This record gives sequence, structure tokens and C-alpha cells, in this order.
Amino acid sequence: MEVLNGLGQGFSVALQPMNLLWCLVGCFLGTIVGILPGLGPAATIALLLPLTYGMDPTGGIIMLCGIYFGAKYGGSTTSILLNIPGEASSVVTCLDGYQMARNGRAGAALGISAIASFIAGTFGIVALTVMAPPIATFALRFSSPEYFALMVLGLSLVVVLGGSSLIKALLALLVGLWLTSIGTDLFTSQSRFTFGSSFLISGIDFMIVAIGVFAIAGVMESIQAGEENTPLPVPSSLRELLPSMEELKACRFAFANGSIVGFLVGVLPGAGSSIASFIAYGIEKSVSKHPEKFGTGVPEGVAAPEGANNADSGGALVPLLTLGIPGGGTTAILLSALVLWGVKPGPLMMIESPQVFWGLVASLYIGNIVLLVLNLPLVPVFAQILRIPLYVLFPIIFGLSLVGAYSVSDNIMNLALLAGFGLVGYVMAKFNFPTAPLILGFVLGDAMERAVRQSLTMSQGDPTILVERPISAVMLGFAALILMAPPLMAALRRRRLAVPH
Amino acid sequence: MQRRHLLTTGAALGLGASLPARAQGGWVPTRPIEIVAHNGPGSGPDVFARAVAAALEAEHLAPVRLQIANRVGGGGATAMNYIIDKRGDPHVLGVWTSLWMSLPLVQAEARALTTDMTAITRIAIEPALIVTRAESPHRTMEDFINAAKARPGGLRQSGGSPTARDNLVRQLLMAKTGARWSFISFPGGGERISAVLGGHVDIMIAEPSEAGEQVRAGRMRVLAQVTSARLPGFPDTPTLTEAGFAITDVVQARGLVAPPAIPAEAVAFYQNMFQRMAESATWKKYLDDNQFQGAWLSAADTATFFIEYQATLRGILQEAGVRVVR
Repeated sequence: MEVLNGLGQGFSVALQPMNLLWCLVGCFLGTIVGILPGLGPAATIALLLPLTYGMDPTGGIIMLCGIYFGAKYGGSTTSILLNIPGEASSVVTCLDGYQMARNGRAGAALGISAIASFIAGTFGIVALTVMAPPIATFALRFSSPEYFALMVLGLSLVVVLGGSSLIKALLALLVGLWLTSIGTDLFTSQSRFTFGSSFLISGIDFMIVAIGVFAIAGVMESIQAGEENTPLPVPSSLRELLPSMEELKACRFAFANGSIVGFLVGVLPGAGSSIASFIAYGIEKSVSKHPEKFGTGVPEGVAAPEGANNADSGGALVPLLTLGIPGGGTTAILLSALVLWGVKPGPLMMIESPQVFWGLVASLYIGNIVLLVLNLPLVPVFAQILRIPLYVLFPIIFGLSLVGAYSVSDNIMNLALLAGFGLVGYVMAKFNFPTAPLILGFVLGDAMERAVRQSLTMSQGDPTILVERPISAVMLGFAALILMAPPLMAALRRRRLAVPH
Repeated sequence: MQRRHLLTTGAALGLGASLPARAQGGWVPTRPIEIVAHNGPGSGPDVFARAVAAALEAEHLAPVRLQIANRVGGGGATAMNYIIDKRGDPHVLGVWTSLWMSLPLVQAEARALTTDMTAITRIAIEPALIVTRAESPHRTMEDFINAAKARPGGLRQSGGSPTARDNLVRQLLMAKTGARWSFISFPGGGERISAVLGGHVDIMIAEPSEAGEQVRAGRMRVLAQVTSARLPGFPDTPTLTEAGFAITDVVQARGLVAPPAIPAEAVAFYQNMFQRMAESATWKKYLDDNQFQGAWLSAADTATFFIEYQATLRGILQEAGVRVVR
């Protein structure tokens, strides 16, 4: 009842014309920020923050949250169309999204991405509305051993993500783990693998690796294969530009999977949305009836990660709004924005500033609808981009990649790194090494290393801390199952073949 | 009151040096001033740089435009190198934090030393609180120290990097009391607080803005204040010295520097400008909103502060077993 009262009050705030306008402005800006690679929601919110000083706090936070949600929606656009991840959270979407576009299903991929974002985003907000306090308390039980187990579970997905050769997938994973260790070690303040250059002290940004390995390497491969003169198939009728019934049906499980995984991972302050989308993709592939088709353009391979990274936003707001704890860069800036407006984010915010809390939650519901309405009509428009001949499109992809990598930290050295990773991705493709495990290792390696070292410091060197806690034990058990599955299946198959003799 | 006194003394010195220079038609900026922040938009140094620019503009203290330049990379080294490379250019300023002193000490790749730059001013100190969760058995700092003595290494503190203030204070407290507890590094403030609230670690050293709301909601308790005098928001909690643990004050401070070898007239101009800013209502409101303390120092005193702070830091880090490279 209390929730319904609060929400009712919230909608009366959020539906005021000015607040509705701010919501629209935020969603629109967010979508654009999402589409532009390199420029992220955190930086955008920080730059726009001074403009909102004079605003009423409710209107201000509604607009900023619109940017946050909008960026997650828009991030998939360039992933699908150009193989350039627009945001760190849309990297996984490249795997199947770009392949769908190459198969002439760009419109379908964009549509599915928008629908998955809407469903999972709404799920995240509903979960935030009805169970924020208990789930925040649950998240506090997660400590370093649990994070370690979560990262191991994530890494075990290499078995699923790798292509035909497990050895090659593991090698790629190890390279990813190594790359993520470059930079300053948090525990000793010493630098690792920087080769005496101050440029590498803060490590390599994830976006540079992802754009290099996906976009740059992809273009080089296509050019070598002489594809630049063959146009991509783009259907002309509007009906074929939208997802078909069969495609939507194939995504039924992915919608639920993305929603739940994204929300749960989002609630944890130590895990980002790229981890959520990777895990959702891995689960989707491991339960699929046709896992071998993943990576060739299956709709559920777009729906699961896109859903997860949108449900993640709702999850990330749980510790922020109930406890005043920011989980990541964007929520940290939202927190400082609240402070500037004189709202005190913390355990008492729901009680002391109910109009801000409920107004924000209600505006998220509205924002999600706005984003769907804003994004769906754009699908046919964006799909037309692929009508541009490839010999024109490829230089555009190169240009956007350069801009994206440069703007990550405004440093010209980023471009050298981008070129390097483009080459790495190209060579890997030539030798049939899958690139997804490299990205997986890069995303999870840092967090896993931290978690294991934190755990061992806590236990004064006793490794049993990693397995003796129930949550971590269960997750490690799942990881072991996933790792054991392929050899077991192979053994079973051999026995079955042996029986007729 | 001590601080107020220091401020007036500094003010007198500053005015003596700068006002005549201006009156005699000394140096004034002729093109926009670039203020360098070592991290991206939204980060601590960036927000601080923008607050400085906003205060200068609101108080009409700068005759030219101010631009914030985010020179990100190298954990701060990119921005520091940039300042060093701009030798003699009086139209560039950098926002320094305690990190600018610690980074070159521990990382061979970071070659620029803050002590080689032209000190301009120190304008804010960030106080800190030692907090524990409400359910914790430790009710005072003494409880915690005694428990740590009973179980050497068994108690835990969450914090950031080993060169950050939270570890420096821990090292000093351990050296003073003989107690030992472990230090667990987390990259983000949210994770550090979660570790305390979840009961996975015993204490953390938090900024008042981070922990204040948790304390007000009854979820956290303050054991001691890492400040020279009690903060207005926490009148009933003792400072470390009052609690019986007097240690060297490792302040976390912020201010501005200029490239090496800029004209003395330019130093005088900036000193005057920032002193007037530090006294303005706009700046005082910013400090209050963020629970910072005003701590204006003249250019000469800031230079001394750099040297002393670096020396203290080197001593603590060496004692803590961190490899110091210069």
C-alpha cells in the first residue's frame, strides 16, 4: 500500500509538464550520447551538471536519470550497425548484433534491442520500486569472496563463448587477463607492464580494446575479403525492417534472463554493466538449443545483453537511493548532483525527501516509455545507413573509431593503442582465435584479481575463505559445472556411439 | 581559532606582496587562463577545478575567461608533466591534490615533481572521520585499538591505495600504539562503505560527506575525527588527539600550482586573486556544502607545505613497506 501511495504521489510529480519536459530532454540527450562512441553518460552528466544548479532538484535528477537510461538505449545502435560499441555496456551486443546487420536484419536487431531494453529496463524499475530495501541489505552480504566467485563464474563462460577450439579460447582469455593487469596495482601502488611510459600508468581503457578488436579488425577483414563492393542487403519494406514474430518468440527467454541477471548484477556496487551483459549472453548461449549459431546473428544474442545492461541501471539505483552508496561512475555523479541540490542521499532519503525519491522512480517508468517511443521510429531510419556503399561506410567506421578512442581520455596515444588492438584483432581472426574471450578476460580480470587479493588479506592468507561462505560456494559450484560440461558431454557422446557395436 | 589566526597572518603577508604590484601596473593575464584537472569530468579534481572557476567568475575576480582542461592519464602524471612542460607560461594553472605529492614518490614513470612547480596557494582541507558500523562492538577508538592488540592482524580497515591518506593514518596509528590491523584496498568509495556496512571490515576513514548520512541514520558510528579541531557537524566526537592518539597531521589538501619559472609578478597576482576568492561568500558556501575546511596559504607557505608534506609522506611510506623510488 505504502509503495502504491508513494508511486501515485511520484506520478503526480513526474507528470507535471515541466518535469515531463526534462524527462524528454534527458532521454533525447542520453540517446545521442549513447550513439556517440567514447562520450559516456558519466562525462555528459558531469558537463551538464552546472546547467541544472538553478533547477528544482526533482526536475534536475529526472533529466540526469533520463540521460543515464537513454545512453544505455542508444549504445547498441553503433554496435549493431557499425560494430563500434557506443558504450562499454554494449560491447557484447556487437557479437550478434553486427552479424544480424550483415545478414540484412539490422532493423530487426535494432528493434529487438529497443524492445529488450524496454522490457528489462521496466523490470529493473519495478524491482527497484517494490523491493529496494531488502535487496540492498542482501547486496551488503556480498563481500570480496563472493565477488571472486562471481568473476570466476563469469570467466567460466569462456567455455561457452569460445569457438571450436577451447585451447584457443583459453589463450585469448589469458591475453585479456594480462592486458587488464597493465597499469598501477591498487594494492601496492606499483606500476605493472608500463615499460617506463607514464601513459600506461592508469592502464588501458576497455573501450579502446573493444573498438580496436571489433570495429577496426572487422573492417580490415572485410576489405581483405574484397567485400567493399558488395552492398549489404537492406530490405525496402517497412515490415521487413522490424523484428518478425519468430525472432521475437526466440527472444522470450532472453528477455527474462537479461532482466533478472542485469538487475541482480546491477545491485552489486563492485560489478559493472558490461559484466552483467556478458553473463546474460553466456547464460543465453549455454541454455540455447542451437549454441553453435551464436555469433552468426541470432536475435536472442542481442536481446540478452541489451536487456541486461538496461535492467542494470535499475539495479544500480537500489544502493544509491536506499543507502546512498554509488556503485559506479555514473551513479557517483548522480549522488554528487543530489548533494548539490540540497537533497541528502542516504538511508533517510526515502523518508525525508519522498517527493524526490518517488518522483524519480515514477519518471523512470515514463522515461522508459519515452525511450521506446523515441527509438522504435528511428529503427527504419538508422537501418538505411547500411545502404551507404561499404567503400564509403568503412572510412566512416574508421573515423568514428578514432574519434571514440581519442575522446576516452583526450590523448593522442590512445590512437596508437587503437591501431595496435585493431591489428591484434585482425591477426586473431586470421588464425581463428575467438575475440570474445579476450574481451571477457579484460572485463573480469581486474575485478577478479582485486577480489582474490582482498579476500586473502581478510583471511590473512587462508584460501578457504573463498569456498567456505555459502553464496560464494554455490557460485563456484556452478562455475565448476560449466567448466566440466564440455568434457563430460564429449565422454557421454563417445559412450553412446560405442553402444551399437 | 588556530586556523583563523593563520589565515589572517597569511592574508597580511599576501596583501603586502600583491596589492602594490597591482597598483604599480604589475602583471595581469592577457589571454584565457587554463586550469588543468588531472581526471575526467565529474571526478574530484574536475569538480574542484570547476568550483574554483565558478567562484572566481561569480566574484568577478578574474579579468579573463577561465577554461578547465582535463588532462587525464598516468594516474595524474599526464597533467603534472603538462605543467612542467609549460615552463614560464603564466596562463596555465593546475589543481593539485595530495596525490601530486605521493605519485612521483612511488612511480618511477611519473617524473614531474610538485616541488619543481611554482606554488600558488592551498585553499581547502578535507577532514576525515574514522567510522565503524552501528552493530560493531567498538564504541571508542580505544576499544578498537585494544581489540586490534588482542588479535594482531585480525581486524580490518577498508580504504583506497596504500599511498592514500587512510593508509597513512593507519600506519601512524599502528606505529604509535603497537596494534596491528590489515588494510584492504577497494577502488571506489561505495565499495569501501559497503564493506563496513556489511560487517566485512571493522573500520574505514571516510570523508564527512560520505559517512555523514550513514551516521545520521544510525547505521554508522564515528570513533574519532582525523582533524585538528572538532567539526561543527560532529561536536560530540573526540579528535584523534583528544582520544589519546596524537599523530602527525596528514592533511588531505587541495590548491593551485603554476608551471616552473613564471614571473614573480604573476605569482603575486594569483596569490592576491585566490586570497580574495578564499575570503568570498561564494567559496565559503562551497566549502560548507562539501564539508571542507578553509585553509588558505600564501604562495611561499604553500611551497614550504609541499616540501614538508613530501618529507612526511616519504617517511611514512618507507615505514609501511611501500617501495619509494625517489
